[in-house]
Amino acid sequence: METVLMNILGAVATFLVAFVVGMTYGGLSRKITARVQNRKGPPFYQNFIDAFKLGSKKSAIHHGAMHHLGPAFLMVSSVMTLMLVPVLTHNNWYPNLNFKGDLIFLLYIMTFGPLGMALGAGQTGNPNSAIGVTRGLSQMVGFEIPWVLALVSLMIQYHTTSITGLMAAQAHTGTWLMFSSPFAFIAAVMAMLGMFRYSPFDIVGAPTELASGPIAESGGKYLFVMMSSGSVFTFAKLTLYVDLFMGGADNLGILLIKTFALYLIPMLYGVTTPRYRTEQAVRWFWGWPSFFGLLAILQAVIF
Amino acid sequence: MEMIHIIFLIFLGGAVLTYFAGKISKVLQDIFFLASVLVPTYLFFANVAIADKVTLSLGGINLAWGVNHFSWLFSLIVLGLGSLAAIYAIGYMKGKERKGYFYFNFILSIMAMMGILLSLDLVSFFIFWEIMTWSSYLMTIYNGNDTQRIGIKYFVFSAIGAYAMLMAIVIVHHVAGSFMIGDMINFYPNMGLSMQIWIPILFLMAFGVKAAMMPLHVWAPDAYSNSPMAYTAVFSGALSKMGIYGMVIVLVTMINQIPQGFWFREVIAWLGGITAVLGTLWAIKQDDAKKLLAYSSVAQLGYIITGIAIGTELGMLAGLFLAVMHSLFKGTLFMVTGAIEKQTGTTNFTEVTGLIRKMPWTFVAALFSIIALAGIPPLGGFVGKWMLYESLITSNHYLLVIVIFFSSTAAFLYCYKFLFGFFLGQEEKEWAHVKEAPVVMLIPMLIMAVLMLVLGTFPGLILKPINSGLIDLGYIDTFKHLWNTSIILNAWGDSVVLQPILYYIISIFVFFALFITWKGHKSTRYVTTKDISSSGEVPADDENLTFSVGFMQPFLRAVAPAMRRQIDKYYTGFADGLESLFEFMRRIYTGNGQTYAVYAIVFVVIVLLFKSVLF
Repeated sequence: METVLMNILGAVATFLVAFVVGMTYGGLSRKITARVQNRKGPPFYQNFIDAFKLGSKKSAIHHGAMHHLGPAFLMVSSVMTLMLVPVLTHNNWYPNLNFKGDLIFLLYIMTFGPLGMALGAGQTGNPNSAIGVTRGLSQMVGFEIPWVLALVSLMIQYHTTSITGLMAAQAHTGTWLMFSSPFAFIAAVMAMLGMFRYSPFDIVGAPTELASGPIAESGGKYLFVMMSSGSVFTFAKLTLYVDLFMGGADNLGILLIKTFALYLIPMLYGVTTPRYRTEQAVRWFWGWPSFFGLLAILQAVIF
Repeated sequence: MEMIHIIFLIFLGGAVLTYFAGKISKVLQDIFFLASVLVPTYLFFANVAIADKVTLSLGGINLAWGVNHFSWLFSLIVLGLGSLAAIYAIGYMKGKERKGYFYFNFILSIMAMMGILLSLDLVSFFIFWEIMTWSSYLMTIYNGNDTQRIGIKYFVFSAIGAYAMLMAIVIVHHVAGSFMIGDMINFYPNMGLSMQIWIPILFLMAFGVKAAMMPLHVWAPDAYSNSPMAYTAVFSGALSKMGIYGMVIVLVTMINQIPQGFWFREVIAWLGGITAVLGTLWAIKQDDAKKLLAYSSVAQLGYIITGIAIGTELGMLAGLFLAVMHSLFKGTLFMVTGAIEKQTGTTNFTEVTGLIRKMPWTFVAALFSIIALAGIPPLGGFVGKWMLYESLITSNHYLLVIVIFFSSTAAFLYCYKFLFGFFLGQEEKEWAHVKEAPVVMLIPMLIMAVLMLVLGTFPGLILKPINSGLIDLGYIDTFKHLWNTSIILNAWGDSVVLQPILYYIISIFVFFALFITWKGHKSTRYVTTKDISSSGEVPADDENLTFSVGFMQPFLRAVAPAMRRQIDKYYTGFADGLESLFEFMRRIYTGNGQTYAVYAIVFVVIVLLFKSVLF
């Protein structure tokens, strides 16, 4: 019973941290984008205001069971990713599911949400939603290639497929993987651009083109859950990158510095580039990013 | 009389009786049909023990049939899926023509597959293999669509495979002096090198055709999509596994024994990988559900072939586990397609849409099998995919793992296309009358959906018989070393513990589902798919907002170079070339007596001219 309570406590605490950090990062990105574009921009806590406004609303309409449950599917994927990724090193945080799954499992559970979400978006009958979903899935096929190349190169280098194993390897050698496997890091960061869906890879939501795509028909609580899921997912993915390539973090302060530094890459790249078309986006990932991924594999095999 | 004899007699007698019972009463025919599939299934699992063996002397040749752990595993697929598909077929065939023809071939197919699995000698193996080919061929032309192209294509490829196998059998008998499979395996290390290479190639050609391996796969999409769906569930789910069954035996007992086997395995593994990628890309392009699933079957068999060709313990476990899962989810998906075909009359995504509220249970079955197909946890497909990746990574196939990963990520595209095309999207008035499929069709689908869920968390249930089968083939026991009831491990000791994962997923889902539903669900009302925001306006009733034509166009544009060449076209070109050659040959036989007289004179002149050389 005690372990169950501890598990629940760990899950809730991790979720809250991820929620707050993810929401803040979202707000900061709005602010920074605005400053780059010479606007004043909303305050950094604007996302909290939006979220609580949405969360307190009642939903007047729904389009059926899948539409209703779509956000819950999305949440499963985000929270499961969060549970699998170790937040801090040296057992400074709740273990959650850290030792129950490995990287391949993580890759697959990350796709659970988008598919569930896609079903919800599909049932609304809004053609923009379905177009957004097909774009999102296509883009996923694109960025998974360099991302998996990078991960496989790490796995064969250290003979482990678990995140904790790779973290232990970094602790053992004392160098971060972004220095000892630079090509894998470059490929993974390029894949990250697609994962975070900032411009030029914002083809899924595509403002002014698809009318926000898959989430077009969702408001109130649905949108609130989706928004929180997005924030949690952002935090989980950034923490995963920090764990894999930057040796993890001993405390939350260091974690925030490292994750924010990583977060700036897709955001700043985004504000300076216009949107790709879908096939351009997909092919972009099969060009240089995959080349660096192959170099990473070569490096892992030879050295 | 032994139990195995009785089982085959029931199959054979049942097939004939079912055929003629149709002349008396339709209900009697259905009962006979069910009995002749379900009774032998019960008898087999209740009364036939592992290592049972019976013999039969036929025309001076001793035929032997027996069961081992490995064939028992495949019997589970054949009889399990066969029984469920038989129940489904009762509903599917209701009101259709030529039921006797269908039932007869159905039972014969099941019998032939069991015969293949139980055969211990090459003669009965070949005979049952031919019965299987014939009965499935007759099924592909059941609908009568384009029999010339589809039926002939399937038959030509099957014949090529069968002749290759026949040649191998004759060679084996010549060299080893026996038709027994066991003798062949024992004698194999003593054969000459060229025999050691040619015999597996000939066998693999035969098995590769049935397993739809590149470049022998071109018959599969047409044959799968043109058979009646109740049969295609078995065709793709179980019959294709006969190729896998044979391949495993050839790979393990022959190719692994010789040093050149390494290259064999690499080539087959890569062929499997390429099959998977191309099958997936073509599946994304299809607008017809049957075609989509057929190409997807080809792709999924590619994973299985890759798994077994790698040949490590984990690779074997992965391949065979995927084989079991594939028969479950692809069986279900073909049944779903059949149910929709029966209720709406079409399986084209561009015609039928928005069925989710009309056929909710069919949707549930489809959803489960799609999640399993995509390999997403917590369903069984994930376990197979995980083991496949881990086996590839731990056995140094770094590029192949990327190829497989690409194909299984791209598979999400056609997975979504299938669900969206049939069940989601705009609800149209044209399909307002559609009702849920009959219960007799729903039950088999839902049983399989539940099985997929159970195997996703407790894969040990099916890994246990797979492990026993592999031990029979000479592998080491991998229990606790690579798998446990609900834990899967790789060769480096990394693991996935499935039980807590399932509990976490369920609790997170329930929590947030409740959160959305709890407050104010009474004031939330359902609105139709026309009641949506489109640039701030509510679209009118007559406005067409259905999105189904060119569904994955942007992605297909991105991968267009890979799809420009089609192996089918080369075969067609080759066939056209042969046809013109034959056309030329035909002209020799003009039917005119004078021409024949000229031939005779020319022949005599030639003989006279070259008299000195010839005689």
